Amino acid sequence: MPGREERKHRYTTVSIPVTLYNRIKELIKDTGFTSVSSFVTYVLREVVADMEREKMESETISEEEKKRILERLKALGYL
Amino acid sequence: MANRRLLVLGLDSLPPYVLYQGHDGGGFRYIRGLVSDSRRYILRSCKPPITVPAWMVMFTGKTPGELGIYGFRHRKPGMFDAYIVNSRYIRYPTIWEEASRRGLRVGVFGVPPTYPPKPVNGFMVTDFTTPGPEKRYTWPPWLKREIEERFGPMIFDILYRSSEKDRVMRDLLKMVDKHLRVMEYLLTRKPWDLVVYVEIGIDRAHHAFWRYFDERHPRYEHHEVYSGVIPKVYSMVDEWLEKLSKTLRDTVIVIASDHGVKPMHGAFAINQWLEEEGLLRLKEKPKKPGTDLREDMIDWEHTAAWAWGGYYSRVFVNLKGREPHGIVEAEEYEDFVKELAERLRGIRGPSGEEWRNIAERPVDVYPEVNGDPPDLMLYLDDLNWRPAGTVGWPDKYLPENDRGPDDAMHDWYGVFSVYDPEGTIGRGDAGVIGIEEVYSVLSSLLFEKK
Repeated sequence: MPGREERKHRYTTVSIPVTLYNRIKELIKDTGFTSVSSFVTYVLREVVADMEREKMESETISEEEKKRILERLKALGYL
Repeated sequence: MANRRLLVLGLDSLPPYVLYQGHDGGGFRYIRGLVSDSRRYILRSCKPPITVPAWMVMFTGKTPGELGIYGFRHRKPGMFDAYIVNSRYIRYPTIWEEASRRGLRVGVFGVPPTYPPKPVNGFMVTDFTTPGPEKRYTWPPWLKREIEERFGPMIFDILYRSSEKDRVMRDLLKMVDKHLRVMEYLLTRKPWDLVVYVEIGIDRAHHAFWRYFDERHPRYEHHEVYSGVIPKVYSMVDEWLEKLSKTLRDTVIVIASDHGVKPMHGAFAINQWLEEEGLLRLKEKPKKPGTDLREDMIDWEHTAAWAWGGYYSRVFVNLKGREPHGIVEAEEYEDFVKELAERLRGIRGPSGEEWRNIAERPVDVYPEVNGDPPDLMLYLDDLNWRPAGTVGWPDKYLPENDRGPDDAMHDWYGVFSVYDPEGTIGRGDAGVIGIEEVYSVLSSLLFEKK
């Protein structure tokens, strides 16, 4: 269970270089993003979700996929 | 900022015989000049001298025992089936992770095993263990699209154990060409302080065409086309590096391999030997030659040991309390392993000739033993013979690899040469360097203020 303090602080600050901040600001002008923060959050969510998916897949491979990898390593002579 | 930029060109399985003694079929024209101006080491690979774990030993400075990686596959105690390692099993920081941590910009291409990719301060394209180009194989993730828009889907490997040599040759040249074009793009378009590029195509060329190339091979044969494949692959890399050299003026260039290569004399059916020795019993005779040893084929009540094949053999003891049907008592284990090692060392060749076998326990090899090591590690006749794990062969000595045509075995010695365009590192032969010592040389080049 998160504590009261933790629940209160649902946002935190991440530092990025000012030049990068300005580049993003320029990039999102006239787009659906209303702030640099919302853009950065969107991009990070995409990347993190992708990484988590890949991590999960590499840790829990199906029997069929494992068989395929083993066959390939055999064909390559490593096993 | 780094003192100097550093490019590590990893040529998988390149032996000193080729790079230092000039047996390159004319392929390494530019690189030969570079190497003659370099500080040259004979690289002593790790035990086992196999791509996984060797490159990671080089780039972490840790032995296979410390990494807990003894090959591609491992088995949990008590389990018969294997699990396969990937980048997530590497628990020590690599040189590019350390460089990233220090704010240097890095690039990594083709280093096994880097799949799935981990974030770095720069770019990464994973290696031949990547299941396929449909996977996420780059860091950052969108680099994949950037590469594929320009060069099409990545080719990670070829299947070279085939008698269709023309097809193998075409696939090989296509793969190496693609790698070189992608790397040229990345090296010239991305900012970097350290780049590590391992070209697996060199190893594949050696395995598929070594007997058409090396006159010392027992089955050497000159072939109008095939004898030219290895020099052709060398020359592709050579011309690529020469072309790039204009943009690499101040860059320190390291040329390294993870192990060497030597002619394969044949394969030895290690489980059939264990059967003959009364240490392994099968429930029934295998129906066809080259049958993989399966759990349900073994009469466990009468089996004391079984083995895996590959470039070396991992031997497992059917230990009571650890294995589901163990018969070797815990208090007998030490003596049993010692005696088994002695018997394995005594294996002789097909004509009764003596072999130089190495049979040793992981605890006697490494400063630390992590992960899931075998009970014994066996190398046959100084790596001239390949242990085959399959059974059902009419004879335990096989003229060819049990996994299909293969001309080469791995060798203990590879290369490690450092070219400094400013000449501050020194040139000439520098003796032997252990593969686990390379990390400190690279980190000193990258991180020490000169």
